[in-house]
Amino acid sequence: MFSVRVADARAFRDILSAISTLVDEGTFYITEEGIRLRAMDPSRVAMVDFAMNKSAFDEYVSSGELKMCIDIGELLKLLRRAGRESVELFLDEETGQLKVTIRGKYTRTFSMPTLEASEEEVPTPRITFNVKATLTTDGLHQALEDVSLVSEHVRIEAEGDRIVMNAKGELMGVNIELDKGSDALISLEVKEPSRATFSLSYLSEIVKAAASTSDVVTMEFSTDMPIRLDFKQQYDGKLIYYLAPRIEVE
Amino acid sequence: MRVIADLHIHSKYSRATSRSMDIENITRFAQIKGLNLVGTGDFTHPAWFKELRKNLTEEPGTGLYRPAEKPDSRVRYMITGEVSTIFNHESSVKKIHHLILTPSLETANQISDRLAEYGDLTIDGRPTLNMTAPQLVEEVMEVSSDNVVIPAHAWTPWFSLFGAFSGFDRIEDCYQDMTKCIPAIETGLSSDPPMNWRLSTLDRFTLVSNSDSHSCWPWRIGREANVFDLKELTYWSVVDAIRAKDPSRFRYTIETDPAYGKYHWTGHRACGISLPPREAIKLGNTCPVCHKRLTKGVEQRVEELADRPVGYRPENVPGYIHLLPLSEIISTVIGASSPNQRRVWNLYDALISRFGNEYKVLIDAQFDELAEVAGVNIAEAIIRVRNGQVKVIPGYDGVYGRIVIFEEPHRELGAPKFKAKKPKQRTLADFV
Repeated sequence: MFSVRVADARAFRDILSAISTLVDEGTFYITEEGIRLRAMDPSRVAMVDFAMNKSAFDEYVSSGELKMCIDIGELLKLLRRAGRESVELFLDEETGQLKVTIRGKYTRTFSMPTLEASEEEVPTPRITFNVKATLTTDGLHQALEDVSLVSEHVRIEAEGDRIVMNAKGELMGVNIELDKGSDALISLEVKEPSRATFSLSYLSEIVKAAASTSDVVTMEFSTDMPIRLDFKQQYDGKLIYYLAPRIEVE
Repeated sequence: MRVIADLHIHSKYSRATSRSMDIENITRFAQIKGLNLVGTGDFTHPAWFKELRKNLTEEPGTGLYRPAEKPDSRVRYMITGEVSTIFNHESSVKKIHHLILTPSLETANQISDRLAEYGDLTIDGRPTLNMTAPQLVEEVMEVSSDNVVIPAHAWTPWFSLFGAFSGFDRIEDCYQDMTKCIPAIETGLSSDPPMNWRLSTLDRFTLVSNSDSHSCWPWRIGREANVFDLKELTYWSVVDAIRAKDPSRFRYTIETDPAYGKYHWTGHRACGISLPPREAIKLGNTCPVCHKRLTKGVEQRVEELADRPVGYRPENVPGYIHLLPLSEIISTVIGASSPNQRRVWNLYDALISRFGNEYKVLIDAQFDELAEVAGVNIAEAIIRVRNGQVKVIPGYDGVYGRIVIFEEPHRELGAPKFKAKKPKQRTLADFV
C-alpha cells in the first residue's frame, strides 16, 4: 500500500525535474518513513541521492517496504498539468499502475504503468573531502553559466579564503574568483588546497535544475575526486548529487 | 531475401512496459531499426488481442500479418506471446517463461481459450499459469502442430529454464516427454551462442535471440534478433528454418555482448567483488571480503552445466554477431548521459536518413560513408563494434557491465591541430 498527497504540486514537481536531469527511469524505495531514490546516470558519471520523509507530505500512507520504478519524464508531464493544485499518488500493486489524481477546479485521475524495478543498490562514493563551501545556488549557477561561454569543462580550485573557477577553450579563457563572505560564497573551510575539473554539461545542468528547489548549496571536493553538491531543501529530506571529475591525461 | 526478425516483445498490456507499445509505434520503430518481422507479443491478453484484430490485416497464405494502417510498410507481424508457468518439481517451485509462436489469430484464440483454464489472462500481457511446462506444450501443440514453444531467455537467473534460482539442470527435466516438441532455445541477453555450444545436450536445439523489449525505442527493440535468408517470407518458412537449424536459411543471430548483462559474472555488489567462474569456484562461492555467499552469474551457471571447453564451435550451425544499439554507440562516443538526448537523436536520424535503417548502418555501411554523415569517431566506433573490438567489463550481482569502445585515450581524428587539452572523464564507479 502506498498513497501520498501534496497540497501544492510545484515543489514535488521541481524535485522530480531535478532528479530527471540524470535519471529517466527511477526506482523509488518506499518505506513507512518516506521515499528515497539513489541512482546513477547511464554513463555512471553522476549520481543523485534523494529522500523525502513522511512529514514532507501532507498525507503519507505506506505499509511495509516496496520498490516502485517509474518513467519520471512521463510523471512530470502529468504534474505539469497540476499547476499549484493538490496531487495524490496511489500505487495499485495488483495492476502495477500508479494513479495520479489532480484536484483543482475539477478532478482528474491519470494512470501510468510502473516499470521493472532496478535490482541495483547504488553505494555512494567513499571520499574524504578537503574543501567544504556553502554557496548561494544562484551564485554558483551564474558562475557556471559564465564558464560555459568559453569551455565544456571547468576547473575548480580552493585555497585559503577563495574559490577560483577557470576554464580555457580553443579561443577564449575565463577566471572567476569567489571570496569567502561575498554574496555568492557564504562560508568556506579548506583543510588542504584542492583542485578538480568537471564536465559542464553535467555540472551546469545539475545546478540549474536543483536551483528551483533550493537557495543554498554545500559543495565539497578534493583534488581529482568527485564533487558532492548538497542542495538544502525546505522539506524534510535531501537532494544530493555526486559528479565524477575529469582527469587530465598526458 | 534477408529477413531480420525479433519474435519476442511485449505490448503495453504487460507489466513494466511502456504505454507506447502499440502497433503504430512498434511498426514505426521496427522499420527504423530494420526489422521486417516482429512478434506481436502478448496475444493471450484479451485487450491486446482485440487491438491485433483491429490493427493487423492478414497476408493470405503466409501466416503473417501487416499493419492495417500502413499497408505499404515492410514490417510483418507474427502472432507471438510469452507465458510464465509456475509448478512444483521435486519439492521445489519452478517459475519458467516460454515463448509461443502461432500462425494465425484464430489458432492464437484457441490457445488462449485453453490457457484461460490455468490462470487469469486479463491481469498481465505475460500471464502466470498454474501448470507444468509439459502441460503447456501439450495444450499449445494440441491446437496446431504448426505452433512452436521455445523456452524464453533460458539462462537469466530468475524465471528461466536454466536459471540459477529456480531453473533446471537439464531441459528434459523441465519439459519431460514434451521435450521432443521443443525445437529451439532463446539465449536471452545474458548468454550468446558460444556459451550454449559448450553444452552437448543442447546440440539438437536451434539457438534463437530476441529482444524481450518492453519499449519501442531503437536501443531496446531488435537489440537481439534473428537473421534469415528466405525465398519467401511466411510463418512456415521462418519456423522451418528454425526447426531445420539450417545455416543456409537461418544465417545468424544478432547478440549484445553477454558480459553487458547484470548477472554475467559471479560477485558481491556490497563489497565490489566480481569474479570469473573459475575464481569464484576456487573461493567456494564465498566473498573474499565479508565471507557471505556470492551471487552466481550466468557464466558460472554455464560453466557448471558445460561439458565442453570455452571456444568450442560446432559445425554447420547458424552463426552470430555481437552488435550494440546505434543510439548507445553514439551516446558513448559523444559523452551523452542518455541515448534519448536530442544531440544523440540528431546524429541517429542523419545516419538512418542516409542508410535506410539501423541494421544497415551497423552491419553494411562502409567507414567512409559513415564518417561523411556522423564524423570519424562515430564511424570508427561502429566499425569497432561490428568487428568485435569493443571491451565489456562484465556485469555482476545486479551491476550492469560497462562498454569500452575506445580503450586508448580518445583520439579526435581529423580535429584541428590547436585543440585545447581535453581531460578524460572518470566515472563514479572508480570511487565507490
